Amino acid sequence: MFDVVVVGGGLAGLSAALRLAQQGRRVAVVAKGLGATQLTGGTIDVLGYAPERVDNPRRRIPELVREQPDHPYARLDLDLVERSLSWFRSAVEPLRYAGGLDENVLLPSAAGAVRPTALAPASMSDGNLRRVPRLLIVGFRALKDFYPAYVADNLRHAGIEARASVLEANPRSGEADVSGLVYAAALDADAAFRRVLADELAAVVEPGETVGLPAVLGVDEAPAVWRELQERLGAPVFEIPTLPPSVPGRRVHRLLAAALRDAGGRMVVGAVAVGAETGNGRADALVVQDAARRRPYRAHSFVLATGGVASGGLELELDGTVREPVLDLPVAGMPDGAPFSPRYLDPQALAPVGLAVDEELRPVDADGRVVYENVYAAGAMLAAAEPWREKSGDGISLASGIRVTEAIVERLS
Amino acid sequence: MKRVSTEVLVIGGGATGAGVLRDVAMRGFDAVLVDRADLGEGTTGRYHGLLHSGGRYVVKDPVSAKECIAENGVLRRIAGECIEDTGGMFVTTPLDDLEYAARFVAGCHATGVPVEEISVAEALRREPRLNPGLSRAFLVPDAAMDGWKTIWACVRSAQEHGARAFPYHPVDRILRDGDRVCGAVCRDEREGHDVTIEARFTINATGVWAGRLAELAGCPGVTVVPGKGIMIATNHRLVNTVVNRCELPGDGDIIVPIRTVSVIGTTDAEVDDPDELEITRDEVQEMLESGDRLVPGFSSSRQLRVWAGARPLFQDEKAAAGDTRDISRGLALVDHVQRDGVAGFITITGGKATTFRLMAEVAVDAMCEQLGEPRPCRTADEELPGDSPDGHYWLGSRLAGRERTMRDDQLICECELVPRRRLEEAIARQATDNLDDVRRVLRLGMGPCQGGFCIYRATGILHGERRLDGPGANASLLAFLQERWKGVQPILFGDQLRQARLDDWIFQGLLDVEHLPGDRPPEPRSREVSAILHASDQGAG
Amino acid sequence: MTAVRATLDHCVKCTICESHCPFSAATSLFPGPKYAGPQSERFRAAGRSPDVSVDYCSSCGICTQVCPQGVKIAEINSQARAALKQEHGIPLRDRLIARPSVTGRLAMPLAPLANLGLRVRPLRVAMERSIGIHRDAPLPPVARRTFQRWARRHRAPARERAVVYFHGCSTNYYEPRTGEMAVAVLERAGYRVLVPPQDCCGLPLQSNGAFPAARRYALRLAQALAPYARAGHDIVATSTSCSLMLKREAREILGLEEDDDLRVVSERTYDICEWLRDRFDEGTLPTDFSPLPMRVPYHAPCQQRGHAIGKPALDLLALVPGLEVVELDTDCCGVAGTYGLKREKYAIGMRVGERLFRLVRESGSELAVCDSETCRWQITHGTGVRAVHPIDLLHRAYGL
Repeated sequence: MFDVVVVGGGLAGLSAALRLAQQGRRVAVVAKGLGATQLTGGTIDVLGYAPERVDNPRRRIPELVREQPDHPYARLDLDLVERSLSWFRSAVEPLRYAGGLDENVLLPSAAGAVRPTALAPASMSDGNLRRVPRLLIVGFRALKDFYPAYVADNLRHAGIEARASVLEANPRSGEADVSGLVYAAALDADAAFRRVLADELAAVVEPGETVGLPAVLGVDEAPAVWRELQERLGAPVFEIPTLPPSVPGRRVHRLLAAALRDAGGRMVVGAVAVGAETGNGRADALVVQDAARRRPYRAHSFVLATGGVASGGLELELDGTVREPVLDLPVAGMPDGAPFSPRYLDPQALAPVGLAVDEELRPVDADGRVVYENVYAAGAMLAAAEPWREKSGDGISLASGIRVTEAIVERLS
Repeated sequence: MKRVSTEVLVIGGGATGAGVLRDVAMRGFDAVLVDRADLGEGTTGRYHGLLHSGGRYVVKDPVSAKECIAENGVLRRIAGECIEDTGGMFVTTPLDDLEYAARFVAGCHATGVPVEEISVAEALRREPRLNPGLSRAFLVPDAAMDGWKTIWACVRSAQEHGARAFPYHPVDRILRDGDRVCGAVCRDEREGHDVTIEARFTINATGVWAGRLAELAGCPGVTVVPGKGIMIATNHRLVNTVVNRCELPGDGDIIVPIRTVSVIGTTDAEVDDPDELEITRDEVQEMLESGDRLVPGFSSSRQLRVWAGARPLFQDEKAAAGDTRDISRGLALVDHVQRDGVAGFITITGGKATTFRLMAEVAVDAMCEQLGEPRPCRTADEELPGDSPDGHYWLGSRLAGRERTMRDDQLICECELVPRRRLEEAIARQATDNLDDVRRVLRLGMGPCQGGFCIYRATGILHGERRLDGPGANASLLAFLQERWKGVQPILFGDQLRQARLDDWIFQGLLDVEHLPGDRPPEPRSREVSAILHASDQGAG
Repeated sequence: MTAVRATLDHCVKCTICESHCPFSAATSLFPGPKYAGPQSERFRAAGRSPDVSVDYCSSCGICTQVCPQGVKIAEINSQARAALKQEHGIPLRDRLIARPSVTGRLAMPLAPLANLGLRVRPLRVAMERSIGIHRDAPLPPVARRTFQRWARRHRAPARERAVVYFHGCSTNYYEPRTGEMAVAVLERAGYRVLVPPQDCCGLPLQSNGAFPAARRYALRLAQALAPYARAGHDIVATSTSCSLMLKREAREILGLEEDDDLRVVSERTYDICEWLRDRFDEGTLPTDFSPLPMRVPYHAPCQQRGHAIGKPALDLLALVPGLEVVELDTDCCGVAGTYGLKREKYAIGMRVGERLFRLVRESGSELAVCDSETCRWQITHGTGVRAVHPIDLLHRAYGL
C-alpha cells in the first residue's frame, strides 16, 4: 500500500512523486513508458507568448488569467509558480538552472528563432540574446539535426550578429550519420575527444565571439563538459537544443529519476494504468496491467499526470469524442465546431481540451463537482492551455505537480 | 520575353502528357512540355497507384478491360522499376453479391484477363488481415505503379531523345495563326517572366482541365466533368496484394499497397471545379467503414492522410461521333479540325493511368495523321530508363540499399529512408525551393511523422544547397508544413493525432517557427529541368 | 504475430527508445530500435527482412519498456530476425547455444571434463574459430547432477498449500543450488513445492530466430505446467528471463496467443520475488529474518524490468535487518542471453556492460545480487565478483 500512486512519468508526474518522496511519503510512479522530459529542450517555459512575446511573466500571467479565467494559471498563483521553480532548481542542482519570472531569457532556437523562456541551465544561459552577443554558431558535419548557417542567417535577420561554421570532430570517425546522443556519450567519457573538439573550435572562434552549438555537451558529466570547453576556449559557450532525442532533457530526467530512487520512491516503467477500483466518490486502487496480469495498486491518493493528447493521456476517437482512458474523467473544453483549422499556424480549436479541476487540482465534472475526492491531475492534461504555442508547458507541469503534493500532504496530515 | 521554338508543344505534365512527350520525342520530333505546376501535381499524383489488370471492368466495360490487360503487360515490360508486382485479388465479402463472382470469372475469360481462383484459406494465408468471412477469392495480375516515378521516367526518356520539360509554366494564351494553333505564351513562375513557345503542333494533355485549355485555343465547350474521388493512406501496408471487392465497382472497394502504405479508394462525385476539391469528415468516415469490410479493424488503424483527385469524365455532346474517336475505350481524343475548324491542336483526355501510354500513342498517331507524317510508335518497345538492375520495384529495396550506405550517408527522412545525397541531387536537378516538389520524387515527408523530423533537416539542407537566405528557407519550411497539414487535418485522430502533437512540439514548441523572420515567398529560380533527372529510386544501385 | 506488427502504428518517431538502447550506443552496427523496429517494419513484406543489421539487436527489451506509446519494438525486431534467419539459415553455433537443455544433458555425464575444457585456452580458441563462440565468453560450468534429480529425492514437508516451481535450464543444469535455496525459502513461507518434469521454455531459440523449434519447446512446457495452473496453483520461477517468456513473450513474439495451455500458464506465472512480495503484502510471509550486515549492489536485469512489476527483490531484501542493498543505476549487463557469447558480438556486450562492471567493482562488495543467471555469469566475468540470486540472501537471512 502506498501513500500516493502517480500515473505518468513526465515532468509533472516525476515532480509530484519526488516532492512527495522527499517529504517521506511512500510513492510509486506507474508509467507506460518514459516521459516527455526526454523530448523537451531542457529549458523551463513558464509563459513565452500571450499571444505576443512575453518579456515579464510576473506581470503578464495575472493579465492572462483575467483574459482566460479557465487557464491553468488561474489555479496556480505566482507564488506557487515561483516556489516550484525554486524547487526544480534545487532538484536538478548540478545543472545550475537560472532565471525567474521577472524577465524571460531569449535563446536562439535550432531554427534561429528568438525564443523566450524562464529558466535555462548554465550551459545555455550565455546564449541570452538580450546581451546582444556576437555569435559563432557551430554545427557538426556528422550531426544532421542542426544547421548552423540557417540558424545564423535567421539570427542576422533578427538583428543579431552571427556567423556559422561546421566542425569535423566526430566520435565515430568515418561515419556520416551520428546522433547527438553518441556525441554526448563520447564527450562524457572520452577526454581525448573533448580535447579534439575544443582544439577544432579554438581554431575557428574569434575574440569577442560567443559560441553556440547543438546541445550535446554530455549527459552524466554535464555541465562539467560545458565548463571545461569554455575554459579551454576562453570564450563563452552555450548549447542550443535541437530535435529529439534531447540530451538536455535526458539530463533532467536522469537527475529526477535518481533523486526519486534515492528518496525511496518506486518507479515502474512499462506498466499501463487501465482503470481503477472506485466507490463512494473515492478511488481505492489503480488497476495496472503488467506483463502477465492486472494488479491493483492501492493508495491513499492518486495523481493523474498522463499528459494530453500527445502522450495518450487524452484520446481523440474517430467519431470526434475525447476520452480520458484511465479513470474516464469528464473532459472539458470540447469545441463546438471543427476541431482543427485548415491553416497550420492558426490556433487549433481542439488544443485546449483537457480536464477541468478545482482549487486543489482535483478533476471536476461539468457542474464543478469533484469526481473522486482523492484523485488529482497535473501537467499537460489540464484544460484551457496551449502549452506549445504559449511556451507555458513546463511552468504548468511544475506548478501543478507541486500544488498537487501540497494538497495531498495537507489531507494526509 | 523568352522565346522557345519547337515542333511539338505538349501541355500537361501528368502521365498522359509525359507519355505524349516521350512518344513524340521518340518519333523524332523536337518537343517541349509545360505544366502549370510540378509534374504529376494533378490527377496522376492523386490516385491510388493501381496498375489495372482489367478485372474491375470485365463485367461492365469489357473493352476497357482488354485495353487494361494489354497495357498492364506493356508497362510491366517497359516500366519495371516504377511497378511493384503485388498481384491482385478479387474477394467476395459477406456483404457482396455472391452471383457476381461467376460473372466476374466469365468476364475475365472473355476479355483475356488472367484469373485463378484460390481457396479462402489460401487468401487468408497470403493476406492475414483480410476478412475471415470471405466466401471466394480470385487472383489477377493487378500491380502497383508509382505515378511520379513513371512520369519522370517518361520525361527522362524524352530528354534522352532531345525533348525539354518546363514545370511551373502555366499557359496564359494559346497562339493562333488564323485557324491554326501555333504555340502558347506561358508564364515562367520561377523567373517571373513570360515565355513564348512556338510550335507546329500543340497537344492538350491537361486531363481534367482539358476543357479550359481548349477554350483558350478557341475551341470552347469541350466538356470534361471533374469526378472527385478521395483516397486515404494507412500508416503501413495492411495488405501486400491489391485487394478488390468482387462486386460492381463502388466506393471504397479497393485497397492498393503502394510503396510503404496501403491506399483505400475511392469515391465518385461530380464537382464543378477540379481545383476546389472539398473533403468532408463524413466522406472520410464512410471510406474508413468501407475498409472494414475488406480488412476488419481498418477504420481503427492509423491513417496517415486523405486527399482528393479529380477524374476527367469526358461528356462532350457537341462532338459528333466522327469528331471524337475511341470514346468507348474510355479515353477521348478530340480532333479540333472536325469539331472546331482549328488545326494544329488536339485534345486527349479521359482514360486512366494504366492506359496512359496507349492514350499517348493514339494522340501522337492523330497528330502524325494531321501533319501527314506517319511515323511509327515505339514506346512499347523500349524500356524506360532506370537505375536499378533488380527489375520490378520491391518494398524492401530502400531498406536493403540503406544497409549498404548506413555509414556513408545521412538519413534525412527516416520514415521513408531518404538519404542526404538523394535529397541534394533532387534539389539540384529540379532547381527548386519547393520541398513539395522534392517530396514527389523522393517521398520526403510521406511517412508516419509527415515531415515532423525531416522538414527541419531538409530546410537546413535546402538553405545551403540553394543559397537561400533565412526568410527564404523559412518560407519553404512553412509552405511544406502547411502542405502536410492539409492532408492530415481532416483525418486526425488516435495515433496520427499524437504524431501531429509531437510534430507541433517540434515546430512550435522547440523550433518556434511561428516567430521566424520574414514571410515572403521564395525567390524565383531557373526553371528548366536540365540534366537527366533520376526518376528511379535508390533501388539496388 | 500480426498483433505485434500492428503496434508499429503507435510509433511517433520520438526516439525515446533510441535514447535508451544500450546496444546502438555501443556499436554503429546496430542502427537503433526505432530504425530496426517500427521504421523498417514498414519496408518488410511477407516476412522478408532485407536488413541484416537487425541481428545486432540483443532483444534486451528496454526499448519496449520505455516506449511511451506502446510500440512492441523488441518484439518486432525478434520477428524480423526470425524472418532473416529463415531466409539465410541459422548457423550451427546459434542452434547449439539456443538449446541449453540439450547441451546441458550432453555435457553432464562428462561434467568434469567438459568444464575443464571450458578453461583450456587452445580449445576455446578452436571453438571460436570453428563455431563462433567467443573464446572469453562466460560459458557456465555444468553441474554434476540436475536439479530435477535433487527435487525427486527431496522429501517435501507436509504443507496445506502448494506452489509449482518452474526452474528453467540454468537451474537444472548449471546452478541447481539456486533451485535448492528457492525450494527451501518457499517451504519456509509455508508451501509445498511441486517440481513437475519440465524442459526449456524456448527463449534462447526465440532470441536466435529459430521460431518453429521455439514454439515446440514453449508449447511442450505449457502443456506440462497447464494442469497445475488449472488446478489453481501458482507457478514461480527464479529466472526472470524464462518467466517473462511464459508471461508474455512466447504468446506475443511466437504468435501463440490462441494456445489455451499457454494462456492459463501465463496467468499463473510469477517471478519468485514478485510472488513472495505478494505474500508479504497479504501478511502471510514470515519476516523473522536474522540480520545480514552487508552492503551489496543489486542489478535488475533488463528482462526483470520487462515484467513491469517494479523491483520486488528490493522490497523483500529491505525486510532483512542490517542488509543494505544499493540499486545500481544501470541498464544492461551486455550478455543479453546468448548474444554476448558470440564471437562477433562479445566485444559489444562487454562494452554495454562496462558501466555495470565499474559500479559493481566500485561498490567494494564481495557479492552482487541479480535475478537472472546469464546476467550473473556476465557480471562475475566482468568483475570477478560473485553474483547471487536475491533468494540466496533470503535463504541466509532465514537461517536455512
